[in-house]
Parts: sequence; structure tokens; C-alpha cells
Amino acid sequence: MLPYWLLIPAFVIVLATTIYPLAYSFVTSFREWDLTKQRRPDGFVGFDNYLHAASESGFQNSLWVTTIFVVTSVALTLVIAMSLALLLRRKGRMHTFTRIVLILPFAMSPALIGVSYRFMFNPEFGVLAKGLGAVFPALEGMPWLADPNLAMAILVLTDVWHWAPYMTFMCLGGLASIPRETEEAARIDGASYLRIFFGIILPQMKGVLLVTAVLKTIFALKMFDQVVTLTGGGPGTSTETLAFFVFNVGFKWYDMGYASALAWILTAIMMLISIWYVRMLLSDRKMATA
Amino acid sequence: MADVRLVDIEKKYGNFLAVPQLNLTIEDGEFLVLLGPSGCGKTTTMRMIAGLEEITSGDIEIAGKRINDKPPKDRDIAMVFQNYGLYPHMTVRQNIDYPLKLRGVDRAARTRRVQETAEKVELEALLERRPSELSGGQRQRVALARAIVRTPSIFLMDEPLSNLDAKLRVTMRAELKHLHHELGVTTVYVTHDQMEAMTLASRIAIMREGRIVQLDTPKRIYSEPADLFVAGFIGSPSMNLIDGAIAGGVFTAPGVSFPVDQPDRDDVVLGIRPEDLEISTAPDAPVIGKLYALELTGESTLVTLRTGANSVCARGPADHEAEINAPCHFVPKPGARVHLFDRPSGHRLDGLSAKGQTL
Amino acid sequence: MKRHLAWWGERALLVLVSVIVLFPIAWMFLTAFKRPRDAYSLSLDFSPTLQNFVTVFADPWNLGDMVLNSVIVATVTVLIAVPCASLAAYSFSRFRVRGRKFLFFLILSTQFIPAVVIVLPFFLMFRTLGLLDTRLALIVVNLAIVTPFVIWMIKGFIDAIPTDSEEAAMIDGASRLRVIKDIVLPMAAPGILTSSIFCFILTWNEFLFALILTRRDAVTLPVGLVSFRTERGDLWELMSAAGVMITVPIFIMALLIQKHFTRGMTAGAVK
Repeated sequence: MLPYWLLIPAFVIVLATTIYPLAYSFVTSFREWDLTKQRRPDGFVGFDNYLHAASESGFQNSLWVTTIFVVTSVALTLVIAMSLALLLRRKGRMHTFTRIVLILPFAMSPALIGVSYRFMFNPEFGVLAKGLGAVFPALEGMPWLADPNLAMAILVLTDVWHWAPYMTFMCLGGLASIPRETEEAARIDGASYLRIFFGIILPQMKGVLLVTAVLKTIFALKMFDQVVTLTGGGPGTSTETLAFFVFNVGFKWYDMGYASALAWILTAIMMLISIWYVRMLLSDRKMATA
Repeated sequence: MADVRLVDIEKKYGNFLAVPQLNLTIEDGEFLVLLGPSGCGKTTTMRMIAGLEEITSGDIEIAGKRINDKPPKDRDIAMVFQNYGLYPHMTVRQNIDYPLKLRGVDRAARTRRVQETAEKVELEALLERRPSELSGGQRQRVALARAIVRTPSIFLMDEPLSNLDAKLRVTMRAELKHLHHELGVTTVYVTHDQMEAMTLASRIAIMREGRIVQLDTPKRIYSEPADLFVAGFIGSPSMNLIDGAIAGGVFTAPGVSFPVDQPDRDDVVLGIRPEDLEISTAPDAPVIGKLYALELTGESTLVTLRTGANSVCARGPADHEAEINAPCHFVPKPGARVHLFDRPSGHRLDGLSAKGQTL
Repeated sequence: MKRHLAWWGERALLVLVSVIVLFPIAWMFLTAFKRPRDAYSLSLDFSPTLQNFVTVFADPWNLGDMVLNSVIVATVTVLIAVPCASLAAYSFSRFRVRGRKFLFFLILSTQFIPAVVIVLPFFLMFRTLGLLDTRLALIVVNLAIVTPFVIWMIKGFIDAIPTDSEEAAMIDGASRLRVIKDIVLPMAAPGILTSSIFCFILTWNEFLFALILTRRDAVTLPVGLVSFRTERGDLWELMSAAGVMITVPIFIMALLIQKHFTRGMTAGAVK
């Protein structure tokens, strides 16, 4: 019985803090509940909340914004993380120093990251806004966060700055588990560096990169803090991600039924990705063992 | 001190039958070695005795008492692990002391016994070190000391020497043998190294696919292997095994003909150890072929010839020299044994099972 | 010669990476020591002052209260999550019990649930119970994201510890609980410490829950940042000072366990 007793405390916590709220919001998503009007939820309205989402422009916008954010941020993070891992895997004093430096962004509060980038991209006295303008005259006087596309770009930038170092460590872990011999053999056979990377390193990193990609996708879908502190969803609704939109519906407009339905749509997206991820990983394992 | 009886024990992992219906009695004071290739179930068997692995069915008795359901701590055993299983956060002294502490031995007695044990395995100078500050051989000694400090009724040793380098392994082997002689405690020892098994054991149980293939003294296992598997497993270099047939009282294979005292039959394997063959120039030698390789081992030369699809190896004098591909003849030494096995079943052929045939 | 170029190129890239990572942090630290007027100039020529720190700790900002809230919430969350998670992680790592895979998957999959989903019902529940704007509420909700993560991480560390020593202890006469206390905990201590610090960082930096569940009394540091956005505009020098307060303790912790930290980051994930 001991194995079960050891599980109980943690399991009670998980049950109470995630499974229960999940079930609760699932039920709420089928009800009408405007918190500004009534204290208790109204009757069940079936799939109305979900149908509402399908036809509402705010939701559609947030879905589009989220897609753009996730795709660019995941792609950039992966490419940068993999490159940094290749750069950092050798031994050396500067390599070690840079590796230590890379710990910092992950430890930094995402809300604070948003705040400091907002400061640095302030068109009047932001150090990056001014600095970039001085180096590249074409960027002089850019509206930065007041421009929808640039605001999205900066949002992606903060996210990549925050996560690429973490993902670099994951890639480094993957690189470390590749036996050196195959690479050395290829070098002795006279393969070029690019050839070695694409022919030998990349195929063996497939599993790690897959895990990294999915984790990053999940984190990107969850990303919320910087939207609040960097752009506030703006300008207009140009950086209103799904997570931020749910937050607005729930805690600005207090439409609990609709917010729950939206939250569940977000959950469903994440679940689908995780299932797909487990599948990919399992088939990858099979291939590896076969 | 005690004997151990395994009665029809069985171990299944899901649908995989790791050990089917094993019976084995280990006598009081005996040094029994479980020998076999990896995955043969020898470690599983030992872990079942230790209580680290539940048995699916059957009974285990120690000193006549059934101990199936007792946790390891109540079985009065001590075990030495392959990777030593030392407590890395404790000093050598604390490591050796821990079993005594758990058994509530009083402080004064504990200090004394740790000291005595440390002296026995020559660790007195290292008592305040941590395992990470010790060499492989010293760690091995700590593991040993921890096992002998409380004089259990049974010692279990799971490949205790396999992580040591070759030279140290030989020294430690002698120490283990001496220790067993001194303490006289029933010992079960798992290894895949036939040399260790031969030198240490009172009896060897050779295991394959969860079954005991042969249980006997080292001497008899060497001289009368029960089947092809044992014949090929014991001895270094291993026994020459040649496929052929018996006709008219002669075993024949390409380039090989041995007179044997057996009725005619096909599908026979003849086995003869390299140390039972010698190089000859006799034109009617039983083994004739072309020299394939010469390997000097120091005290002798291993001479391999090829004939047909077979390679045959003989142990020749250290100063033997010859040209590769030159004709080469082997004859059995006086008193040499040949072994005959049935190819399909691998069993030793009847009528020879008692002694083998001496030429 | 070509090799020489590559060598310098690699060093240059390393410097560039360090600059990109360090610059925003350094700029925040500099701003925290600038007078309001200097904060709006890009000049590095300014006379440093501690005035911003004095200001944020005084009325009306009262950063001290937020520091206290953050410390209490993060500490209590760690103290609850880590012991429970350690036991569960040990069980998952060492026993092959029925339903183990399902339970582990269940706990892991909660990591994929967006925090917004969890906070909605909790907001409603705490509202009914009158627990909004309390530290207790924050602790409860933080446990939701932290616990599965810590179980996962500690399991990774325990998996990496060979079972030999535990088995040796059982044969030496220890019961399972005794084995956990005497052998497993000391051996897993670095991993548990690392996980605790990860857990602390996650809770310390947590923003969404605190934003929704606190108003005045239980506000934590990250949410406190938002309050420096006033009608007079953003008070960058005060925000930076508060940012320094958020960052410094976390950086110290992360750097202290630097070696384990990178291992902890990849623990579990790569497998």
C-alpha cells in the first residue's frame, strides 16, 4: 500500500487545484453567467457560448493573432536555440560565461520583461528605439509599439529573448547525448561542416527538437504576462492573443459562461497538440529501437 | 549459518517467464556460484532469495523456514552489489556501521565491530573517507565489510568483481575465497565469468534461459559438461565443437576422424578441448587441415587450423612456429577426453555421460 | 589563417549573445539608480542615487508589503509542493503499481492546461468564500501549476539515482520509510533543492493569478509593477527599482545552483 500512500498528498493537491476547476469551468461553459448582473449562474444554454465564439470577430481575431505569434515565436526560438547550442557546446572560458549568462532570462519575471522592453522601445526616450534609429536611419522615428506589426514583432522578440536560452539548454542536453564518434568519423571521411550538421547532427536531434518544439508551442499558447505589460493587447486588438482575450472576457466584461467556453477551446487546442506530440514521440521511439 | 532451498520457484514479468520452475538446494556453508550469460535469470534468482524481487510462485526456505513473504531486512542475509550500493553521503565508517545501527546494536559494540571488520579488509586507514574518495577496489572492500560486519546466515554476491580491472579482480578473488574459508558462511555468488566461477565455487549452477542446465562441482563441470551449451561456455579458449556423424565406430567430419565407442548415427557433435590436442606430423592424425592462426599467450601458443567449415584450436608449446596456410595436424594427447553430443537436443550422448571417453 | 578567423568569429558571436541577453537587464539596473530626469535621457553620464528605492518602499507604493507577500506566497507554496511532490515522485520512480502510468500522465497533462482555465473557477470560488485578495488564495492556485511540474522534475532526479544503495539498505535491515529517510532524501537532496528553487522562481514570477485574484492587500511584486503606470505616465525609474527588487533574489538563487540549474532545466524533458 505504501506506493499509494506516497501518491496521495500530491494527488489531492492536483485533484483539488486542477481537475476540479477544470470540471467546474467545463460545466460553466454551457451556462449563461454575466457576473455584473447575477451572483449565481443562470440556466444551461447548451452550446450557445461555443457557437457565439465561432461567430464573434474578437475571438476570430485572437485566434489569428495567436497563430501568428505561436508560429513565429516557435520557429525563431528553435532556430536560435539550436544555433546557440552548437555555438556553446565546445568547452572554453567564454563559452562557460555565456552559458551562465543564458540562465538569467529564464529566471526573469515575464511581466518585468514586458515592462522593460516597453521602456526600451518608447519612441521618445527608449534606448532601443533611439539606438536602432541611430544605427539604421530607416528605423529612425518608427512608432514601434504604436504600430500593429511592429508591436507583434516586439512581442515575439520578448518571448524569444525569454525562452530561447532555456531551449538552448535542452538542445545542449540533446547534443551531449549524441555519440561523438559518428561526427568524428564523418569528419575523417571528409564531410563539410554543413554536411555534418544536416546529415549527422540534425537527424539525431530529431527527438529533442520535437520535444522542444511542442513545449515551446505550449508555452507560447499560454503566454500572457507580456501582452499585459508590453502592449496591453494593442494597438487596437492587434496583439490580443487567445489567453489575453479570455482574460478580457472573464475579468473585464465578467462574462463567465463565454470566458469558460473560450478557455476550454484553448485547452482543447493544447490537448490536441500534446496528444499529437505524444504520438510523434512514440513513433519516433519505435523507429529508434527498431 | 543456514541452507537455502528453492522449491519450484517461478518468476514472471507480465507474460515473460524469466525463471520457470526452478529447484535448487544450497547446502550450509557452501559457496555456490550461479553462472550464465547475461539474461539467463541468475541475478533474478539471487534477487528472489534476497527478497528484492517477488516470486510469482513456489517457496523459498532459509534454514528450513519459509520466507516468501518476509521483507529483505528480516531474512538475515547480506548482499554485495555489482555497483557496490554504497551510501555516497556517509563515510566508510558510517557505511559499515549502518546495518548494526539499524539492528539496534549498542554504540560500544558497534564501534568495536566496525573496527574489527575494517581491519579484516584492510580499511582502517580510510574509515573517515567518503565512497567518492575511494578507488574501485577500496569501494569493493567497503561493500564487503558492510556485508560481513553483522555475520549474516547467508551472503549474496551479485557480480561483485565485474567493475574491477583485471589485475585487481584476481587479487580480490583470492581474498573472497580466503574470507569464505575463514567465516564459513553459506554464499551465493552470481557471475558471468567462468574463470571466477571455477576458482571460487564449491558447486556451480550453470543457468540458461531461466533453467539450471548443470549443477556440479567445477571439476566435473569442466570434465563432463552436460550439454553443448555448458561445453562451449566453460573453458578458455572454449572447447572445439565439430559437427559430423558416426559410422563404423569412427566419428567423421571434413578433415576430422576420431575412433569412438558409439553406435552409428548422424547429427553428432564431437567436442575436444584445445588443451587435449597437440601438434603432430603424423600423416594419419585425426585432425588435418591448414594452419589458420598462431596466438602466443605467454605460457603457450594457441594454434588454430581450418578444415572444411570447421576451425579447430590446440594449445601448443610457446615456441611453436609455422607458416600460415601450411598443412597442420593435431593428435589427442594421451589421456585426452572427447565428448559427444546429440546435435538436435544438445545433450551429452548416453553411455558417455558418466565419464566421457578417454583415448 | 582560416581557422584563426573562425576562432575570432566564434568569440565575437559569444560576446554578441552575452550582450543581447545582458543589455536589457543592465539597462534596467542603470535606470533604477537614475534620477527621474536622467531616466528619460540615454546618457550614461549621471550621478547614481538610491532615491528610487526609498520612494518605492514609501507610501503610496509600499513595495515592502509586496515583497512580503511575494516571499510568503512563494515560500509557503514551495513548502507544501516540494514535500508532497517528492513523495509522489519517489513512488512514480520506484514502484510499478497498477494505474501508475495513467496517474502520471494525468498529472503531467495538467501542465498543458492554460492557467486562465484554472483561475476562472477559483476566482468565483474565492469570491464566494471571501478569499479574494488573500495570500491563501494565491498559494492554493499556485500549487496548481507548480505541483505537477515539481513532481516531474524530482522524478527525473530520482530516476537518475541508481537503486543499488536503496536495496543495500533494505538488506541491511531498513524498512521502506527508513530507506526514504536515510538514503533517498540525502541522495536526492541536490535535485530536491534545485526543484525547490525552480518552484520558488515560478511562483515568485507568477503574474496572471496575482493580477486576477489580488487588489490591494495580497499584491505581489510582478503585479506591483503595473501600479507604476499612472495618469502622469509610466514612472520608469520606479518601475526599474521594483524590477531590481524582483530580479536580484532570483538571479542569486539561479546562479548559486547554476550547475544543477541547467541540468534541472533539461531533466525529464529530454527523456
